[in-house]
Amino acid sequence: MDTAEVELLSQTLRKTMTTTASGPALDAALVELGWSELLAEFPDAALPTVFRLLGETGAHASVLVDVVDTMTLPYAGGRWVEWERGSTVVSTGLDEELPLRPVPTGEPVPLDAGRRAVGWWLVGTGRAMLTLARAHVLDRVQFGRPLASFQAVRHRLAETLVALEGAEATLAVADDPLGSLLAKAAAGQAALTAARHCQQVLGGIGFTAEHPLHRHVRRALVLDGLLGSARELTREAGALLRTEGSAPRLVQL
Amino acid sequence: MSAFTTVEEFRTAVRDWLDTHDLVPGPDRSLDAQVAQLGRVRGALFDAGWMRYGWPERVGGLAGPAVFRAVLGEEVATRGLAEPGIYSMVEVLTPTLISYARPELAAEMVPLLLSGREQWCQGFSEPGSGSDLASLTTKAVRHGDTWVVNGQKVWTSLAQFAARCVLLTRTAPGHDGITAFFVDMDTPGITVRPLRTMHGVDEFAEVFFDDVIVPADRMLGRPGDGWRLAMDLLPHERSTCFWHRVAHLYTRLDRLLAQTDVPDDAALGAAYLALHTVRCRSYATQRRLAEGARLGPETSVDKVLLATAEQQLFETVRDLLPGVLELDDSPWRSEYLYSRAATLYGGTAEIQRNIVARRLLELGRE
Repeated sequence: MDTAEVELLSQTLRKTMTTTASGPALDAALVELGWSELLAEFPDAALPTVFRLLGETGAHASVLVDVVDTMTLPYAGGRWVEWERGSTVVSTGLDEELPLRPVPTGEPVPLDAGRRAVGWWLVGTGRAMLTLARAHVLDRVQFGRPLASFQAVRHRLAETLVALEGAEATLAVADDPLGSLLAKAAAGQAALTAARHCQQVLGGIGFTAEHPLHRHVRRALVLDGLLGSARELTREAGALLRTEGSAPRLVQL
Repeated sequence: MSAFTTVEEFRTAVRDWLDTHDLVPGPDRSLDAQVAQLGRVRGALFDAGWMRYGWPERVGGLAGPAVFRAVLGEEVATRGLAEPGIYSMVEVLTPTLISYARPELAAEMVPLLLSGREQWCQGFSEPGSGSDLASLTTKAVRHGDTWVVNGQKVWTSLAQFAARCVLLTRTAPGHDGITAFFVDMDTPGITVRPLRTMHGVDEFAEVFFDDVIVPADRMLGRPGDGWRLAMDLLPHERSTCFWHRVAHLYTRLDRLLAQTDVPDDAALGAAYLALHTVRCRSYATQRRLAEGARLGPETSVDKVLLATAEQQLFETVRDLLPGVLELDDSPWRSEYLYSRAATLYGGTAEIQRNIVARRLLELGRE
């Protein structure tokens, strides 16, 4: 797919995700749009676009199940969760919108594509929080001037953008197990950085249930643990370095 | 036309050549020795042609894409042949000459730099103008066919070794009143005094200008182009130079892995992740450059990622080689101390965040 085609796909997906109820209805709508064929034929374009947009719009669908080809997924801390595709029961998890249920155990499966998918979802979630925070600081006036004019506030949002851009760069080139692991770690870290800074600059309003921020914060926290948290994956990368005795240069000009 | 059609071909040929030509530095780690080694490496690479790829033929280059320079620098850094900071200075100075010097001047001068016969320096910062570079006061006044320069520069890298200087001066008020010159450092009235720094390498100097006479045909661009020249130069500093520096930092992570017996996977993984992230970002920047994109404020992201990764790496060195920096005479001490400057030179971390906020996030004025 060329840039123009990806852009067109992106517009269509965004519209679908913002006008269709998340969950089974969005799953059906994505199938209608040809999600299965896109994933099979153009995974390099489809996967980043779909998952990043899920994050940006705050929508959710069970498309991750198609990427990893199983419903039972490893979670942080050696835990396992079942992605209950089709379920409309409210979850008891931190993010009650996602149909995730803890289960005692599961079967290990290849996780590279899944980690890239969740990684794109995490940076999309981070972008959503940054958009909310940016709008707030430009709008809200204190001491007679917009919050956006205070350097302490600006630097928090600058840090957020740097973290998200860095994570996207790792995702864009990830094409092997280690690259996918590192990209998921960078994305988890970036989304949590976004959550911390955006929550802070949104002040009191960002702590209310009526403001959308908390939905993205919950999603970032839950997605970070899915298929391994940033903390765990970083440690895994460190262990690999010690075993190999050198640091792999994954990207070549 | 370049003799190489792909990056892979070029890389393989460079590696083969370096494998059979010994350019390994000697044991002397003094700055004099480092600069002499730099001259030796550049000279050999220039004579063999490698140093000329990626530069236009009109300044003595052999053409080919700019990415060849990134590949060559990565090999030089990975093999530890030259100190990466001073090796990469050509990446900033040469494009400046190409864009702003008279064509004849660029054609005459650039080969002197690329071949290692000369070092050049960059006279930008002043005692009163660091982050606020546009407030610089070193004055240039026109006298017929010449300009007379008076003032002081500071943090001028390699000034004591330099034959020429790309100098920013004040010729009128405001950003539009900054004018750049290409000055011979042996001109009467120039005094260079190296600065003692905390890491023990006197790489920076103060440079004093007392009635220094500069021919008018040594002006870079036109009167008032100096600020634009400085802004054009920053993206060069943050693309190919960064790729070289990241390659250098990977060698230091490897060295740490070889030397540490502290099994701290979290710390090693975090240092590696930060380096991998800036390498991926720098890769994206190289790709954009290759596609002909004009680099701009988005390179501040690269700068923040690099400075953060560099400091994190050397913090990890200190943590995982306990006592080594503090008690042993090894290169780690100087390198650790130098990493403290990573968030200062080339625009402080705060200036970078100001740029990200203003230009990329469009948050308006402070």
